[in-house]
Parts: sequence; C-alpha cells; structure tokens
Amino acid sequence: MGGLKRVLAVAANTFRETIRERVLYNLVFFAVLMTLSGLLLNRLSIRQDEKIIKDLGLAAMDVFGTVIAIFIGVGLVSKEIERRSLFPLLAKPLGRDELLVGKAAGLAFTLLVNVAVMSAGLYLTLLLTGRVLDLGLLKAVYGIYLGLVLVLSLALLFSTVTSSAVASVCTVSVVVAGRYSDVIRNMDQVTKGVPSPVTEFLYWLLPNFRNLDFKNAVVYGLPVPFDVVALVTVYAAVYASVVLLLALVAFRRKDFQ
Amino acid sequence: MRGVRKSYRVGHIRQKLRPVLKGLDLTVPRGEVFGCLGPNGAGKTTTLKILVGLLRMDAGEARVLGRPLGDRAWRYRVGYLPENPYLYDYLTAREYLEYVGRLFGMSAEARKRRATELLERVGMSRAADVALRRASKGMLQRVGLAQALVNDPELVILDEPMSGLDPLGRHLIRRLILELKDAGKTVFFSTHILSDAETLCDRVALLRDGQVTAAGRLADILAIDVTHMEVLVSALSVEQVKTIAPELPARNLGERWRLEVPEASVGQVLDKVRSAQGRVLSVLPMRQSLEEFFVREMAPGQAEGAWEG
Ligand SMILES: Nc1ncnc2c1ncn2[C@@H]1O[C@H](COP(=O)(O)OP(=O)(O)O)[C@@H](O)[C@H]1O
Ligand SMILES: [Mg+2]
Repeated sequence: MGGLKRVLAVAANTFRETIRERVLYNLVFFAVLMTLSGLLLNRLSIRQDEKIIKDLGLAAMDVFGTVIAIFIGVGLVSKEIERRSLFPLLAKPLGRDELLVGKAAGLAFTLLVNVAVMSAGLYLTLLLTGRVLDLGLLKAVYGIYLGLVLVLSLALLFSTVTSSAVASVCTVSVVVAGRYSDVIRNMDQVTKGVPSPVTEFLYWLLPNFRNLDFKNAVVYGLPVPFDVVALVTVYAAVYASVVLLLALVAFRRKDFQ
Repeated sequence: MRGVRKSYRVGHIRQKLRPVLKGLDLTVPRGEVFGCLGPNGAGKTTTLKILVGLLRMDAGEARVLGRPLGDRAWRYRVGYLPENPYLYDYLTAREYLEYVGRLFGMSAEARKRRATELLERVGMSRAADVALRRASKGMLQRVGLAQALVNDPELVILDEPMSGLDPLGRHLIRRLILELKDAGKTVFFSTHILSDAETLCDRVALLRDGQVTAAGRLADILAIDVTHMEVLVSALSVEQVKTIAPELPARNLGERWRLEVPEASVGQVLDKVRSAQGRVLSVLPMRQSLEEFFVREMAPGQAEGAWEG
C-alpha cells in the first residue's frame, strides 16, 4: 500500500517536472500546424481536404509524440541517473523499483496529456472547418498512444543501461527499425547469406509499430474491428512490461558512483 | 561495519578494479556525534554511500541501527545528506521537502507543517519558494540538510555538511548537529575540516587509504601521548628564564613566558621559578591539536595500524 503511494508520488512529481521543464511546448507547434493547414485547406476547398486534415493531424501527432517520448524517456531519466539527484531519494524508503515504475507512469501520463491535447486540436480544426466529428479517429489516436508507450519503455531501458548519448542513439535506431520491420523481415530475400532465423528473430524482437497503426484505415473509412484493437493492446502491454522489467533488473543492480 | 571492501571499476576498454575500501571496520555508538575524518580520496563518501545503499559493497557486513542493509525498515529512521547535494532544480525548497515527506507516507498536512518548520530551522524561510535552480550552493546545502531531517531520523548521516557554506551557514549547521545530539539522535558525518570535528564530535575515526587508522574518543586519541606540560610564568627576565630552563623550548609572550616542560621535571622547574621570584600562571598538559595529530597520522611512511588493537 505504502508502495503504491510512493509510486504515485514519483509519478506526480515526474509529471510536474515535464510541465516545469516545458516539455509540452511541442503542443504549440502542433496547434500552429493545425491552424495553418485548416486555414489553407479552407481556402482551397478541395473535396479531399477532410482526409488531408485527418491524415496530416494524425501523422503530426505520431511524429511529435514519438519525438517527445524519446526526448523525455531518455532525457529526463538519464539526467536523473547521471546527475546525482537520486542520491538523497534512494536513501529514503523509496525502493528502486518503485522509483522507476513511478517515473514510467508519470511520463506515460505526460504522453497521454500530450496526445489528448493534440487530438482536441485536431477535432477543433475539423469543427472550425465545418466537418463532421468522426469519433473513429480515436482508434488511430489510441494506436498512436500505444506506440508511444513502447517508445517510452525502450527509452527507459536504454537510459538505465548506458549513458544518455548512447541511449538516444539506441532508442532512435530501434524505433526506426521497428517502423520498418517488414524490410528486415524480407532482408533474406534481398541479401543472400543472412540466415532467415536471424531476420525472423529480429522481426519479433523489434517493437511492431505497424500493427498499432490504424491511421490509414481510419482516414479512409476502413473497418478497425474491436478484437484487433484488443489484440494490439495486449501486444503493447506485454511488450512494454517486458522491456520495463529488464530496465528494473538493470536499475536494481546499479551502483550510484 | 565489519571488513567492508569496495572497488570501483576504472577504465573503459580494459576495466580494472581499483580498491577504495580495504577492509573497513567502524562502529558508531548511538546518541553520539561521530566524525569520519580523512584527507580527500580516503574513502569517506564511499563508506557513507554503502551505508545508505547507493553502492554495493564487494565484501563485508554492515548494519544500520542494528538491521542489515537489505532491510528497508531502517530507512524510515535514517536521514542522509549526500556530498554536494543535487536536488531537483525545478522544485522550490518547500516543494522538495513536501515531496520527500510524501515518500515517507506523511499526510499532506503533516508534510506542510514539517516543511515550514525545517525551512525555519535551516534559515531558509525567506527563500522557501524560490526555484532551486536559482539557489546558491549554500542554500542547496541547507535544503539538503532539511531533507535529511524530514522524517525526524534517529540516525543522521551527513557527507561534508559544512562544505560550500559561509561562516554563518557553518555555524548554523554546527548548532543543528548539537541540537540533534541533545535530542538523543546519532549524527555520523564526514569532514576534512578538523576544527569542525574538534568542536562537535564525541568520537572520530580517521580514514586513510580505505582503512580506519584510528578511532575512539577525541580526548583519548589526542591525549594519548601527553609527555609535556605547558607552564606559563611571568615576572621573569630573559636571563632568569635561560638559567631556569636552559634546554627547554621557551617562547616569550609579552610579559609572560611559555615553557614546554617534560612531565618528570615539572616540579623542579616550578621550584626554580618560585625561588627566582617568578609567578606561575598555569600548568597544563600539552594536548596535541587534532590537526597536529592528523598531520602526523597521515604523513607518508608512518607505520600503519599504530592505533589499532
Ligand atoms: N566513481 C568512481 N570511480 C573510480 N574511482 C572513484 C570513484 N569515486 C571515487 N573514486 C575513488 O575512490 C577514492 C575514495 O573516494 P571518496 O570515497 O569519494 O573519498 P572521500 O570522500 O574521502 O574524499 C578516491 O581515490 C577516488 O578517486
Ligand atoms: Mg567525499
């Protein structure tokens, strides 16, 4: 019980940190982008503009979200470990597991707020340009958010095992590779000599962002069945938990020199 | 702590182990102010970090308040101030203390009260709501001390508590340490500033090169070789002094003379002074200062372990 309270305390403080450190400034850019595209498209009044706004909005949400997830996942956690700010806190009854889980929860909440505000911005743009509010978009937003949680967990893992510079490089590489994991899977057909079990293993190891991506389906009105959403939720939850567990193991063994 | 050993890994490609603590034994009695002294690099910080669980020891055994290190319960009863504390700079002093209170499971009201009280005690009331990123080194040190006291700990572990403080701040910390002692708390602090140790500590341990070379009551350690007495006399001329004590070191202090007399010949010297119509002002055992002791103890080539056993 006390443990949960401490996790919440850390999470709340982490969220406060992201606010104070002005992490959410990206929202301003998003707002500007949405407003501009809304105005522009209104002028042009193309038939397809609704799809364009949705497409652009969701893509921007994905990109901004990912950048922020890497930024806070590596930046804030490495900073915490490399500077000595944890020294006083780890002598308190706060367990290392509780600390890391609290951090993860606080950052995940930051990402949620981020995505929520961006969604609101997208809907506002649609509203102001006189479109119908398509609640189906939320499925895509949800997929984006799951992806961000995966990115965050990877960033946390890398931050606990290496320096911030290496952690950023690793996180970015894995995220990019995860986005193009199909390429890796088909690598054995392109380059001879790479044994297919290796590429297959890599494919399964990397986070599969494609499965979480409902953007096109939603924009073009294709069905996204509920059981698919449930399945990718389970996938993301399991993946993030395993990665976080590895981070916990690494963090526990750490010497704070 | 018994036989504690610790090595750091150094180097990137071929990592070597660099031993820092080489079988450290240390016992801090409850209710006392205990100073951990030693030159820079002696291993003081490493020792304290092992105690609070920031570092793992390679070998040995340590207990805090009678409990093994792995046990979490003692953490409710201990306060720790790291060396040059780095506190969240996006918080204010008050917010930081309230956050720490939350980690101890204190209620919102209790946290608020405790923060206000501690800020007052460390003289930070006026800067309570300034973001710590704008705080000076001295202010951080004060808030650092306050955060170590949030849970009203029985044992307070302070790593160089006086470093970076102006005379006012040092005085404040000294006063706080003595207040803690009066309240029956145990204070274990490291320092390389000997005068602090001399005025505050009941006991000290001298660390050198990862080992305790001397430990015990300050008075015992320093009085251990009282062989000379300091005799203060007046109303004597230079010639008289020379005849009384031809080979003894004597120093003129205006009207008075300070003689360093071996214990055995004190009576003889006093008789001579009186027969020369001189006045004896005082006779005191010549305790060495902690500094003299320290310098001798840390001198290279000094027989190690001279004070053990
Ligand atoms: N992270 C580290 N890596 C390698 N050596 C270290 C590290 N931290 C401290 N040392 C070495 O360990 C020794 C003891 O350091 P420390 O415990 O900080 O001493 P003190 O606090 O008494 O000045 C020093 O020689 C120092 O150079
Ligand atoms: Mg030190």
